[in-house]
This record gives sequence, structure tokens and C-alpha cells, in this order.
Amino acid sequence: MADSTAPARFTRRTFLGWWMAGLLTATVVVGLAPILVYLWPAPPKGQKKLPVTVALDKPLDQLANGEAVKFDAPTSPNTAFIMANGGGDNAPGALAFGGFAVKDTNGKPHVFAINCSHLGCPIAVNTTDSTFDCPCHGSRFHLDGTVLHGPATAPLSDLSWKQGSDPKTIVVDGLELGF
Amino acid sequence: MDWSSVSEVAIPHPREIQVAVVEWLDERYPFTKSVDEALYQRVPNFANAFYYCFGGMVFILIVLQLLTGILLSLYYVPDATGIPAPAYTSVQFIQNTVYLGWLIRGVHFWGANLLIIMVLLHMARVYWTGSYRAPRELNWMVGVVMLLLILAFSLTGYLLPWDQKAYFATEVTIKIAGLPPPPQLGEFIREILQGGPVVGPPTLQRFFTIHVFLLPALITLLMYVHFRFIRAHGISEPM
Ligand code: HEM
Ligand code: FES
Repeated sequence: MADSTAPARFTRRTFLGWWMAGLLTATVVVGLAPILVYLWPAPPKGQKKLPVTVALDKPLDQLANGEAVKFDAPTSPNTAFIMANGGGDNAPGALAFGGFAVKDTNGKPHVFAINCSHLGCPIAVNTTDSTFDCPCHGSRFHLDGTVLHGPATAPLSDLSWKQGSDPKTIVVDGLELGF
Repeated sequence: MDWSSVSEVAIPHPREIQVAVVEWLDERYPFTKSVDEALYQRVPNFANAFYYCFGGMVFILIVLQLLTGILLSLYYVPDATGIPAPAYTSVQFIQNTVYLGWLIRGVHFWGANLLIIMVLLHMARVYWTGSYRAPRELNWMVGVVMLLLILAFSLTGYLLPWDQKAYFATEVTIKIAGLPPPPQLGEFIREILQGGPVVGPPTLQRFFTIHVFLLPALITLLMYVHFRFIRAHGISEPM
């Protein structure tokens, strides 16, 4: 270890002291580790990803430009939608319990998760202004999902979706929660 | 690696860190004094025999039961309504799905069994060394109550998995509890325990509350009394 000319301040005593402190710490960690493992949530048995068929109140192709319809995630069995993207409070892979199918003012269809990108409150359609408004802190979004007014800074999250075989329906990526 | 440069760095011995923390604490409350008063007690030589450890082992087992019990309660659902009942399925979930759930449940189960053995051994040693005699009669009585509490723990805990064994074992024990004559009294005891005319969801609710709220509080209190008595009397001299 220390050569004979250097001042040996890292002494045998110090080394042994740290060795014992290390052993003590390791013992505590070994004791606590199984508890932490036990506390880590195991996925419920029935939990699985699956495409969810959602019947819209008004079929997408019949929506006028600037019109939106709200839909909810099925509750029996309990299911959530999976966000395809998102910033702020939303993130890809995060879950949403509802959404909006919308034709923006240019006639382009979108399917958004219901959660505001600020702190996740469910947004609502403002039919007068053709916007999405958040009741919590006043964020507002254009119908194409982009921010019109803060505090939100990120656009709304898209859901991954495709047109269902029945034109009244869309098929959205979801997660059956298993409880 | 050039160790001579490492040795230039003044690496503190862990004790220096320990001393710094303890001094900070002691300036605010005399922790060292209190802990010393509590722990620096001479154990008389005659009390070094292994059977004087039994009471301490009971204490450690009870702490283990409290810890594993708290962990189990994170997943256990005390609800016996429906088939299968959440009480049953939540225990299956702990056993088969929760990470290391089988381990925590197993420790709680075997700890409960060991506990009874150790309490009986402890009691046997107190009897064997004649330590129940004056002036320690009260501590013997406290001990008897704790023995009954331990048995009540086992009885109420046995029902919680809500499987066939749990259900019918509890039916039998409640039937026994309902034997004392006159029949009206037996019937009264039975209904109070069951929370209704049969062993059902109200029974589980009662047993659960007794098992996780009432008994732990009582036994903690009584252990404190038990240990204060021991400190007051000192360990008894052999006969
Ligand atoms: C239920 C949990 C119990 C715990 C945690 C416990 C714990 C202890 C401990 C740590 C001691 C110190 C001496 C030793 O360990 O042998 C002790 C002493 C004693 N215990 Fe217990 N005990 C329990 C139950 C009982 C029972 C069931 C009885 C008898 C009915 C009993 C009667 C006594 C008496 C009389 C002493 C004093 C012995 C002496 O001074 O030599 N205890 N107990
Ligand atoms: S959560 Fe929508 S504005 Fe804050």
C-alpha cells in the first residue's frame, strides 16, 4: 500500500474501520433489499396491451371541420389508452382514461388523449372558440393539439389509432389493467 | 495505481464521522446518557445460561411479526364478500405474484409458530427458576396475559387467508367458544365473535381488526410494562 517514504495517513486502522463500516452497511442492505423487492409492484395477472375498439358518438368521417367528440376508456374490464407521444406532464407510454376524436379546422383528423400537457387534467371542448380548454389552470389548445395559451407548453398527446371496420368506430392502442 | 498519492489524502476513520454525528445530537438532547443508562446494565453471571435468552427471542420474533405483518397488509384485502373473495385472491396474489411475497408470508407464518414455542419455553424457564415468586407475581400475570394475546393473534390470523382450512378451523373454534352453558350465553359469545348468525364476511372483518390493530397495540404496551418490571426487580437469583 503506502510506500515507506510517504506519510501513511491511510493507516491500517482507517482501512479496517472502513472495512467494518462497509460490512455493516452491506448487512443492512442485504436485509433491506428483499423488502424493497417485495414493495416493487408486480403486474396484475390479467394486465395486457391490446387494441381497443371505441364506438364514437359521431363517426369520424361525419365530423365537420372544427368538431370534436369525447370518448372514454372501457371500464369492464378496466382499460386505459396508451399515449403515442407527449411532452410536459404527458409522455409516450403514459396512460389516459379518455380522449377526443377531432377534425381540425383544416379537416385533418386527430385522436388525442384527454390529459392536458400541463399537469394532466382532462381538457374540454370549447365549441364557441373551437379550442380545447383546461379547467385546472387555464391552458388552451388549438384543435390540432398545438398550444394556444399556457401554462402548458407541449402539444396534446396523440393516441395510436386506426379506423375500425365499422365506420362508427376507431381502434386505439390500450392496456387492460387487470383489476 | 500510485498508492503514495492516495495516502496523502486525509481519509477520516469512520469513527470520526460517528463521533461528529453523536456530538451534534448530544448537544441537543442527552442521547448518549439515556442510551447508556438503558443499556449499561450488568448481566449477573447466573443469567448467562442460554435459557435466559428465551424472552429476548420472543421479543425479536414479535418485532419480526410486526414488520412482516405490515408488509403483508400492503397487499392483503380484508374483504370476504363474493366468490372468490378478495381476501382469498389477495393472499393468492401475495403467494404467487408479488415479488418475494411467498418469502414474507412464509416468515410471518413460521414466525407465528416459532413464537408460541418460544413463549412456552420462556414461561418454562421462568417456572423452572422459580422467578414467578414474590416480588415478581405481577410480571408473571402480565406474562400470562401476553400468552393469551399471542394465542389470540394465532386464532385471528388463521382466518385471514379465507380458504377452506381457515373457514372451517374458525367454525370449530367459534363452536367451542360457544359451548359454555347456559346455551343462551354460548349463543351470545358465538354471535359476538361471528358478527352474525354464521361465520361470514363480518367475522373476517372483526378478526382482521383484532389481528392488526387491537392485539399489536396491546402486546406492545404489555411488553413495555414487562420490561419495566424486569428493570425494577432485576433478574431473579436462581433458587
Ligand atoms: C409474550 C411475550 C413475552 C415476551 C416478549 C417476554 C420477554 C421477556 C424477557 C426479555 C425477559 C427477561 C428474561 C428472559 O429473557 O428470560 C422476561 C422475563 C420474565 N417473563 Fe417474560 N416474556 C413474554 C411472555 C411471558 C410469559 C407468557 C410469562 C409467564 C406467564 C412471562 C413471565 C416472565 C417473568 C416472571 C419474568 C422475570 C423473570 C426473572 O426475573 O428471572 N413472560 N420476559
Ligand atoms: S393541468 Fe391543464 S392547465 Fe394545468
